[in-house]
Amino acid sequence: MTIEKILLGFSPKAENILPALKKVNAGFGYIDEEKAEKIAAYFSVPISQLYETATFYDLINTKKQPALTIKVCFSTHCALKDAKKIIVEIENVLHVKLGDENNPKFRLGKMSCVGRCGEGPVVMVNNKVYERVTVVMVRGMLEEYL
Amino acid sequence: MENTKILTINWGKINPLKIGDYLAVGGYLALKKFVSEMKPDEAIEEIVASKLSGRGGAGYATGEKLKMVAESESHEKYFICNLDESEPGTYKDRMIADNNPQLLLEGIIIAALSIGAHKAYIYINGNYEKQKETLETARAQAHKKNFLGAGILGSAYDLDVEIFSGAGAYICGEETALINSIEGKRGEPRLRPPFPTEAGLFGKPTAVNNAETIANIPWIILNGGKKYAKIGASCSPGMKLYILGGSVKKPGVVEAPTGVTIRELVDDFGGGVTPGRDFWFAQIGGASGRLVLEKELDMPLTFSRDCQIPLGSGSILVVDKMANISDLILSWTEFFRRESCGKCVPCREGTFRLHEIALRLQDGEISERDKVAIKDILWTLESTTFCPLGRFAATAMRDAVEKLNLLDK
Ligand SMILES: Cc1cc2nc3c(=O)[nH]c(=O)nc-3n(C[C@H](O)[C@H](O)[C@H](O)COP(=O)(O)O)c2cc1C
Ligand code: SF4
Repeated sequence: MTIEKILLGFSPKAENILPALKKVNAGFGYIDEEKAEKIAAYFSVPISQLYETATFYDLINTKKQPALTIKVCFSTHCALKDAKKIIVEIENVLHVKLGDENNPKFRLGKMSCVGRCGEGPVVMVNNKVYERVTVVMVRGMLEEYL
Repeated sequence: MENTKILTINWGKINPLKIGDYLAVGGYLALKKFVSEMKPDEAIEEIVASKLSGRGGAGYATGEKLKMVAESESHEKYFICNLDESEPGTYKDRMIADNNPQLLLEGIIIAALSIGAHKAYIYINGNYEKQKETLETARAQAHKKNFLGAGILGSAYDLDVEIFSGAGAYICGEETALINSIEGKRGEPRLRPPFPTEAGLFGKPTAVNNAETIANIPWIILNGGKKYAKIGASCSPGMKLYILGGSVKKPGVVEAPTGVTIRELVDDFGGGVTPGRDFWFAQIGGASGRLVLEKELDMPLTFSRDCQIPLGSGSILVVDKMANISDLILSWTEFFRRESCGKCVPCREGTFRLHEIALRLQDGEISERDKVAIKDILWTLESTTFCPLGRFAATAMRDAVEKLNLLDK
């Protein structure tokens, strides 16, 4: 799928900018400058405005993403459960540091509440949500991806 | 009266993906009544009489808001259902979409038609993908039954409902940021006035209401506003969803009238504090909510300005004495640092600095300099930020300082 083809699925109205950004992001993993320029031209908005929008939202990337991105919820309910221990276990299993953006293979970060507080601790691995995660579960959960 | 259930009555009993199930329990009778027996302003009068107030946190009178948009002269108006729900500990609106999407749609249709809108939006949290699909199915089925689209139920009413998915930003729950987001811009709040009721989406009059608020409307249309006004606390009547979490025996979403006390919610609905744990405090309304000590548990929860503990999103987090408070503080401060939209300096910097102090607190040290700084930062957040998020970022920390004596060690 080319970016042109994705864009043609949307009529060039302002309210389609965010949906289009999400779709291009889903198709290519991130939105680089070249793609941002094409999207801006398609919707007839200045590239500065489009880039402002693209960089604002958590679910849209403007940089190439590593193969494996893990986010651990650390909002109130999960923070009071075992979120911290789970982070340490992931650090040990993958040999990554929380928040390290220079690791080309893995990225481990924290995320805001995704509304599954009853089923916490919650961990998201490449957009797949895992609920009631325990320290013991971590290795098995990650092995699927390694 | 306490046994009335409005929002959850059919949860688990009907298949959310089958409109027939909803029709079999009296679904869309309110819309039929609205279309065949009522004028738009009569419907709004019922909502005014119900004294329904917004469940999105601020508690603004729903009927008054609809009336303002209904009375504006513009030919183009919008109705927006706010389902962005990203307050930590809060998932009541998601449960409505999961369990009874048609109830929400029926409320949206009635509200939108009553203000004269031809287009309504559901702005849904970008992480709620499954709920988006559920709502899309529900919408297609409602369309087929002619509850939506052109000439609704043979009348002259037209309405399209668009489901717009967010992209991960807490601030987009704030109504003007939400509107910017639909317009393809950064989700930053706008200066008001003008209020969205005058100049909202695409500059047109717009009513934005929370999903739970809207889900009350079919009942009000069917049973009358006066009857609704008799439920719960007289200052802000009605049924309300509360989300119980943390150290309670039975966590989850419960429906109870406004005016219940926190103790009733925890003990009667939540089965009490988790066995073997001792109650320390509760946080009411998510990460931006206030802290409540044991001696305050008998205060009724309402949306009134006089209510000392704002109900906010309705989330009740029970924290026991084994909890690590520095983790909770890190959680709050990190959340607001991440979610601050960056438009105004006091919030962008203040949330950043509070988070730095919270990190030092993790290491067990808090210097005299930090103690002074906390007070300065809290004052700045409370008094000078552009939108309420800045204040939210200070609320729980303020209570941790004043009620839990955080700085006295
Ligand atoms: C930072 C911030 C976040 C908000 N998040 C939400 C939200 O997720 N859902 C919601 O309905 N209202 C939220 N609100 C309140 C909305 O601005 C608005 O008042 C509400 O949607 C109006 O609907 P109501 O009158 O039915 O409550 C938020 C407000 C602020 C300041
Ligand atoms: S208070 Fe925070 S969220 Fe609100 S406008 Fe300022 S920076 Fe943005």
